[in-house]
Amino acid sequence: MADRQTNLLQGTLDLLILKSLALGELHGLGVARRVEQITRGTFQVKPGSLFPALYRMEEAGWLTSSWGASENNRRAKFYKLTAAGRRQLDAETTEWKRIAVAIGFALQAT
Amino acid sequence: MSPFTQIPSRLRSALRNLFTRSRVERELDADVRAYADLLADEKVGAGMDHSAARRAALVELGGIERVKDEVREVRTGALLETTARDIRYAIRTLARRPGFTIVAVIALALGIGATSAIFSVVNGVLLRPLPYRDPDGLVVILHEGRNPVAPANYLDWKRQTSMFSAFGAAEYWSGTVTGDITERVHGLKVTSDVLSMTGVSPLLGRSFRAGDDVGTGDQPIILSWGYWQRRFAGRRDVLGTSLIVSGSSYTVVGVMPRGFDFPMFWAGNAEVWTPLALGERETSRQSQSLRLFARLRPGTSLQAAQAQMSAIAANLERAFPGTNPAVTVTPLSTMVVGDVRTALLVLLGAVGFVLLIACANVAHMLLARASARHREMTVRLALGASRARLLRQLLTESVVLALAGGALGITLARLGLRTLVALAGASLPRADAIGLDFKVLVVTTVISLLTGLGFGLLPALRVSRSEMSEALRDGARGSTDGAGRSRIRSVLVASETALALVLLAGAGLAIRSFAALRAIDPGFDPRGVLSAVISLYGTAEAPPGRREAFYTSTLERVRRLPGVESASLINHLPVAGDIWGLHFLIEGRPRPRPADVPRATFRVVYPGYFATMRLPLLRGRDVAETDRGNAPRVVVVNDFLARRYWPNEDAVGKRVAFDPSAAEPTWFTVVGVVKNDVQSDWSAPPDAEVFLPYRQEQSYLESDGGHVGFMTLVVRASCSDARACNPASLAPAIRDVIGSLDRSVPVTDVVTMEDVITGATARPRFTLVLLATFAAVALVLAAVGIYGVISYAVSRRTHEIGVRVALGASPGAVVRLIVAQGMRVVTVGVAIGLVGALIASRLMTQLVYGVRVTDPTTYAGVAALLGAVALVASYIPARRATRIDPLVAMRTD
Repeated sequence: MADRQTNLLQGTLDLLILKSLALGELHGLGVARRVEQITRGTFQVKPGSLFPALYRMEEAGWLTSSWGASENNRRAKFYKLTAAGRRQLDAETTEWKRIAVAIGFALQAT
Repeated sequence: MSPFTQIPSRLRSALRNLFTRSRVERELDADVRAYADLLADEKVGAGMDHSAARRAALVELGGIERVKDEVREVRTGALLETTARDIRYAIRTLARRPGFTIVAVIALALGIGATSAIFSVVNGVLLRPLPYRDPDGLVVILHEGRNPVAPANYLDWKRQTSMFSAFGAAEYWSGTVTGDITERVHGLKVTSDVLSMTGVSPLLGRSFRAGDDVGTGDQPIILSWGYWQRRFAGRRDVLGTSLIVSGSSYTVVGVMPRGFDFPMFWAGNAEVWTPLALGERETSRQSQSLRLFARLRPGTSLQAAQAQMSAIAANLERAFPGTNPAVTVTPLSTMVVGDVRTALLVLLGAVGFVLLIACANVAHMLLARASARHREMTVRLALGASRARLLRQLLTESVVLALAGGALGITLARLGLRTLVALAGASLPRADAIGLDFKVLVVTTVISLLTGLGFGLLPALRVSRSEMSEALRDGARGSTDGAGRSRIRSVLVASETALALVLLAGAGLAIRSFAALRAIDPGFDPRGVLSAVISLYGTAEAPPGRREAFYTSTLERVRRLPGVESASLINHLPVAGDIWGLHFLIEGRPRPRPADVPRATFRVVYPGYFATMRLPLLRGRDVAETDRGNAPRVVVVNDFLARRYWPNEDAVGKRVAFDPSAAEPTWFTVVGVVKNDVQSDWSAPPDAEVFLPYRQEQSYLESDGGHVGFMTLVVRASCSDARACNPASLAPAIRDVIGSLDRSVPVTDVVTMEDVITGATARPRFTLVLLATFAAVALVLAAVGIYGVISYAVSRRTHEIGVRVALGASPGAVVRLIVAQGMRVVTVGVAIGLVGALIASRLMTQLVYGVRVTDPTTYAGVAALLGAVALVASYIPARRATRIDPLVAMRTD
């Protein structure tokens, strides 16, 4: 399900991950859960999509990562937005809103 | 979203990914495992028991390895990294099966090496531009594409044409250089713009300029690099040195750079250039001795130039009938490359076929191996490797194989090229431009890569598409081969057979054609004859009163040498020498119009020439010792002339004259008729020829020109067995004899008549040897392919054959079963190949002599040969099948 939606909206996954990390650092599963939460369960990100996206975005310089302990004391890798990541989030948010408005207009047209 | 701001970060990642790979991998592993652990914890928190939660987490994750693989795919430098990994893996896999790898690499090296070698030749001869400035603008102007032009025509054409920015003439000449060493030198007399037209500047000194061609007094001369090195040891102060050539004085004004060769298609042995002074010949429309070179004006098309030249010649022909046959304007490059183009393109096609066959061979070797690797692939698929990933890895393996083949192929090509150029000899123009240059290396690499993809794609596609269930079934039971794969292998073998047949047909035609060429009766018997050119021009023996005496005493002494059976002299040696034409009249017949005056090749001989060459006298007599001075003038004609002009009568006793325009012709009586001989072009049909006695030939006895200043000595060695005869061993004794008469007389071009003929058939031999080699390689590869397929089939059918034998099948029946399977495929291949060969044969039309390109015998022969080889190739594995022990066979698996 999530895979299909990701395919449907190229770039949506990046935006959702950036958004989910806007409030603070999270580990992989945390990101998945936060995306689920903020989209009210519409998007379920599977690890097969999540991990490639995280690594890709880290290599692009939008995220950094560090090892730390989880709430139940598991060693896990935590991801955090960089300054470039915040700029990217702003840019993509603006872009997304623009598209959403445009699509909205398009769908209202008769 | 600007991708540029990501560059530093990407670069860091790429370096990290490539150089600290193990750490990056460890972190990735820990990251994904942590996810699984956290997920399991979540499920335990939701009330699952520990192990069930763990299993559920792993299922949800979809496999740790798979996730890691997907991350690897997106990582910067991933392509580079996986490729490097694939290459390492491929090398390990190939090294584990050295037998397979060696055979495959050798097959590919043969294909790629041969292709590279032939491509090098094509590149050097056909593709590389001629080494002149703007070579495309240079043209050659001749009569009928090959005949030289008379001086008056040259001057008229030059005055009237407007199409050329330069227009010059060249004439071949040779002379005797005297001084410390007396030697014969060949050269060109050129108008001042010929050398400058090439755009090649002299290494030393200057080129010719207007006013150099006065033709009197001290004349300028330009040396080739080779002659400068040989005669002057490369001395820088050679400019201004005087050189005496054939009694005239020349001053060295320039030296051309090393390797300078112009015009390449003619006068290849020219080593010096002097100005062409036409003098009183300016008005002559008879002596056709000039070859014209011109440069097209920028923007002028060849067609426009040709049209204008044809119009000019047509006008002149009206004014002077019989003097202006068709004029041709031909690009210099076409003249240089000539008819070798077709031969090279056919060879390139042939070698491409060899490469295709090698590819097909390796492809079915890979297919056979693919079945063995079925389980490996299935396991990897089950572990979550993507099919694209497997495909890429398999293709990497075949490309590695092909590149190894390419590397070995280049080495083979280097060795092959040397042999090839030596084999081609003078029959290949621009041989010095042939080599493995950068372009050839690039082409070879590309060919190797394409080859790897070509033969690897099919097996790789099949393997990566393997179905797990199929693999399990096939792996579990040694069943008969899957229908699909067996069909592909049959198609490969059939294609190989078809390609091999096309090559064999080509080689067969070349062999038959060469046999026909070798079977041409030159008229004379070349075995045991040695020839040598004696040049008196410019020596103390040259004056009219002395030359005849010198030749006579030379002959007397040579004839007395031990091991000499007979000796004589002729002006121009058949096959190798020049051919001059002479117009003649026949007594008692009406005078023909100027354009219809019959023409014959003109030879001047001493008595004994026909006997020495064993050119049979059909009627009448040889020229005699008494045919001299004021004795009645005589001539010997060839059979062609006799039959053509006296079809129903005896030519002997008839009279002809060689001064058709004279009011009172001088009549010559025909005293003999000899068999037709090959005059110049080895496979040309016979043509009219006359032989005049030297001692009655005024031009040779009295003229001062260099063109009549030499004769060719022919000597027949006395051998009991003509086959074991070695006339070349007579050369030192002959040189001694002539040296003892006059040390300053140069003896050159010492060559056996057999070598002359070998040289005349060098190009067809070159084509033949290469085509035959390629066909042989193709045959071997096809045989290996058929053998491989049948033995594979036998190994797959062990169980079935075991059952058959157990049920009472005789060994004969088993052999028939297996062989029939092979021969069915081969028959289809042969049938397709025959059609292909018939279509391809049209390309051979220009290359064959004395055999039709659709010759049924040749086609039947090569089909039978291929069939026989295929039979043997399938019989060997079939016999192995008969030795299968049914008990063991049924227990296998």
